[in-house]
Amino acid sequence: MKFFTAFRKKSPWILHYNAGSCNGCDIEILAALGPKFDLERFGVINTGNPKQSDIFLVTGPVTYRSRERLVELYSQIPEPKVVIAVGSCTATGGVFRGMYNVEDGIDQYIPVDVYVPGCASTPQLIIDAIVKALEILETKSKEIEKPFKLFGAIAMVGNKLSRLNMATRVKHDEI
Amino acid sequence: MLLTLILLPIATAFLTLFSSKRMQYFLSGAVLAIGSYQSIVLFTSAENMSFHLSSLFNTVIIAADIILLLYFLYQGTKHNSSKVIVLAVVQLVLFLYIEHAASSGHSAQVVVDGLSKYTMEYDISSGHSAEIVVDGLSKFMFLIINIVGGIIVLYSVRYMEDEEATLRKKQLFIAGMFLFLSVMNAIVCANSLMLFFFLFEMTTLASYQLIAFRNDELSRTNALRALWMNQIGGAVILAGALIALRSANTLMFDTLLQHSGGMLLLALALLSMSALVKGASVPFDSWLLGAMVAPTPVSAMLHSATMVKIAPYLILKLAPVLGTTLLGGVLSIIGALVFVAASYLALSRSVFKEILGYSTVALLGLMMALAAIGTKETMMLAMVLMLFHALSKALLFLAAGVLEKQYHLKSIEEMSALVHRAPKTVGYIVLGFVSLTLPPFGLFVGKLFAITSVASLLRERPLLVIVLVSMVVGSALLVLLYFKVSSALLSNPSDTLSAERERIPYGYNIPLIFLTLLIVGSGAGFIIIQHNVLLALLAVPLTFVFVLPRVMRGMERYDRTDPYHCGEKEPFDAALVYFEPSVRVKRMIYWSFTLLFVSVAVIGGLS
Amino acid sequence: MIWVWIALAPILGGLVYGGERVLRARMQRRQGPPVLQPFYDMFKLLDKRTLIVHAPHALLGVAHFFVLWFTVAAIFLGWNLLYIVFLHLFAQMLLILAGYSVRSAYSHLGANRELLMLIAYEPILILVAVGFYLQSGSFDIAQIVRGGGYLVQMPLLFVALAMIVPIKVKKSPFDVGEAHQEIVGGVEIEYSGLFYEFLYMSRFLEYIFIYSFVFIFAGVSYGLGAALVAGVFLLVNLVDNATARVRTMHMVKIIYAVALSLSIVNIMWIVL
Repeated sequence: MKFFTAFRKKSPWILHYNAGSCNGCDIEILAALGPKFDLERFGVINTGNPKQSDIFLVTGPVTYRSRERLVELYSQIPEPKVVIAVGSCTATGGVFRGMYNVEDGIDQYIPVDVYVPGCASTPQLIIDAIVKALEILETKSKEIEKPFKLFGAIAMVGNKLSRLNMATRVKHDEI
Repeated sequence: MLLTLILLPIATAFLTLFSSKRMQYFLSGAVLAIGSYQSIVLFTSAENMSFHLSSLFNTVIIAADIILLLYFLYQGTKHNSSKVIVLAVVQLVLFLYIEHAASSGHSAQVVVDGLSKYTMEYDISSGHSAEIVVDGLSKFMFLIINIVGGIIVLYSVRYMEDEEATLRKKQLFIAGMFLFLSVMNAIVCANSLMLFFFLFEMTTLASYQLIAFRNDELSRTNALRALWMNQIGGAVILAGALIALRSANTLMFDTLLQHSGGMLLLALALLSMSALVKGASVPFDSWLLGAMVAPTPVSAMLHSATMVKIAPYLILKLAPVLGTTLLGGVLSIIGALVFVAASYLALSRSVFKEILGYSTVALLGLMMALAAIGTKETMMLAMVLMLFHALSKALLFLAAGVLEKQYHLKSIEEMSALVHRAPKTVGYIVLGFVSLTLPPFGLFVGKLFAITSVASLLRERPLLVIVLVSMVVGSALLVLLYFKVSSALLSNPSDTLSAERERIPYGYNIPLIFLTLLIVGSGAGFIIIQHNVLLALLAVPLTFVFVLPRVMRGMERYDRTDPYHCGEKEPFDAALVYFEPSVRVKRMIYWSFTLLFVSVAVIGGLS
Repeated sequence: MIWVWIALAPILGGLVYGGERVLRARMQRRQGPPVLQPFYDMFKLLDKRTLIVHAPHALLGVAHFFVLWFTVAAIFLGWNLLYIVFLHLFAQMLLILAGYSVRSAYSHLGANRELLMLIAYEPILILVAVGFYLQSGSFDIAQIVRGGGYLVQMPLLFVALAMIVPIKVKKSPFDVGEAHQEIVGGVEIEYSGLFYEFLYMSRFLEYIFIYSFVFIFAGVSYGLGAALVAGVFLLVNLVDNATARVRTMHMVKIIYAVALSLSIVNIMWIVL
């Protein structure tokens, strides 16, 4: 409903996922959430649970081991949702670009709404990114958003819509 | 009418020995119908009845008693159990001595009235009361025994089909169940201590035989343990009878209770000790736990729904005198502590039937505690708890039998996600748990009133604070226990995954449906009888069950998704929680309960 | 009039919750979210796509909320205190069954903890009710609030009650049921959107539920009641900011060793 859409930006709940980061950006995210920068004044809660989140904060260049989890978490966040790629690695692969075990950025797998540069990025930048993401969140619809790779199926079982296999497992020969 | 209740099961037992499967269903159905009808008619009729037994009949019982004790002696020598032998010898000596003393002192006690002829009042002129007296309490027990017991017998016919045994053995089993019904019907109206002793030993025999039914090593050891522990109960009854005879010069319950002074309290203490043994209160809990190796109908009938109810029954019978005495106080404290201890010990078990067994021990403790307090209200509540406990536990045990026979499951560790495979059986089990713990079901309401009435007695008897706290803590522990078990059963994957429809065979399902209806019906009836508007309102939250189908259809519009596993694709389960007391603590618990048990006799003797 | 209050109970609880978030932020020298933040969250949750695992799980959460609301209504209407405690038990059991009904390790762990919390605080609540009964001669709240002097006669029971308030409102050191860092919220983990909203609102109702126990300690004097609630509220938040979470079994042991003994001593004192 139109009335409730206005409240999306007043209560952004965050899911933070480390897709193989060196922990530099993660520390900055936690700094932004901590008392000094006090992200909670925007109504932000770090939920740690995809099912109750609006903003997906990802750090790291997406290692081979982490991509299944990345897509699984992404598909468990109910729409509308936005994805923020925090740090250079997450945007492009950063210093890990071209290595045998990384995927050069999360936009290979899932659609990204805001990119945050920096190695590591700063709390101020992260707060900026979240505020920017909130603007995007307001314009989104409730349509199902799909990952680019590892995308399984959305099936109707009886009258129920099943998202059980929306994120598929990596097949063995792909590794 | 009473004759029907006692003789009909005996007659059917004989018929069962020669009948086919179909005939057995018919017979057990008939016994259930007639027994329930008769007990309801009896329950609604107002007057008390009493019967005299002819001297011939008394002699027969004496003979049977001696044979029974000799049989125990024989079993003791056969299985080389010194405890059984010693206790059997002790009982024999006591028994013969009492019979000798009674017959020499009371040669005039020849009552000619036959079994068929009964008088409506006590035969005061002869100076002796009748051997069989049917009062309100007995009528109430008939209800439990015949309705719940009847349903269990009906169930056991189907259960025996799945049991691996010879046809003859199966017939004997069902005949044994019928016989047991009649023994139970007789024991709750026995007014003579010696008759009571005989029937008490008969139930011990039934326990012994039926636990050993599967005849493997474990069954036999457990049966022997049940035998010697229950023999302690028999021995203390005899000791109590001896003291009653010496001090009050009577062997009848009612004259004994009217008597005062002397060693009366010691006699009562000894009798209530036998109740503690039969109710498997904590130092004796191992016999009831061991009894869980028996076929499930046995566990349901003997070791939960009916036979162990002799314990609170006996305390209730003695309660009018126990009430304000120190002895009554000690008994109620023991009962209450057993309630907590057994609930706690149950938390370390993983076999489903053992968990149910421990919770039976716990709730029997609670009933005995309430009965021993001895005010009119608490005695009524003890009876209410007995009825609802019998219904709920029967339901749970019968459902456990279905799990055992249909799914070959015994331990709750194996039952993970069972609701997906067996939604109906799990439904029955969860209903059983809910009816034991939550509003608006009968057992819950009983506990609620029990707290209220104990609280109202606190100012007069400050010691009851132990009972109150035990009741509160024990209930909480039982909630933990039941819902810990539910946690194993209930975890269900998404409802878009299809599962096979579960079919419970009719032979299993019909008794379960009966019990469910009885639980709901009697709980509602109890609330209505209370005339308590607030209490009825406790059931209001349940009304939302009626809109459920519509709501369920409405739920189809939401997306189904996997549970959260940290992004992993493989599901993983949480383990069950166990709370095991250390060996030292456990030993301490057992020793202190043994001390308390002995102190009953000491206090009875001193006061 | 009373019905209006009952209808407004979740909103009242929401304001308390919002105020608490601000208070905690100020204690940490932060600005904190607006007071109306809980309502913004609720409106946002209505605008989300709803994912459920299966229908019974979602419905049990809804049932939990409504039974809890019924419980709070019973408090406002001045019913029997024991019934209220047991009605609350019923509501909690619905939540715990919901936690168990999905195949999710966190949900199960959360439900286990929820159960252990239940066995920790429920005896205390009943004993508090018994204390009121011994003092006022009735379990009915309507009767109890006509009396007075409870604080003088039952100080230890009040302390015991204050000890279990953090369990109920999920504050340190007893916030084991929620524990975002360990079990990601526990029983509420599988809820989202519309259905999470019901659980979110039942948290508001929990505030009303437990603080009304604090309130009736003042008896007839409503001013004192308000002061008691405010005092306990401040104290709980102070302790929350100053302590770390204890383990679940540790919590049960603390409550049984300290709060239960205090209650028993107090009851014995009244009786003798």
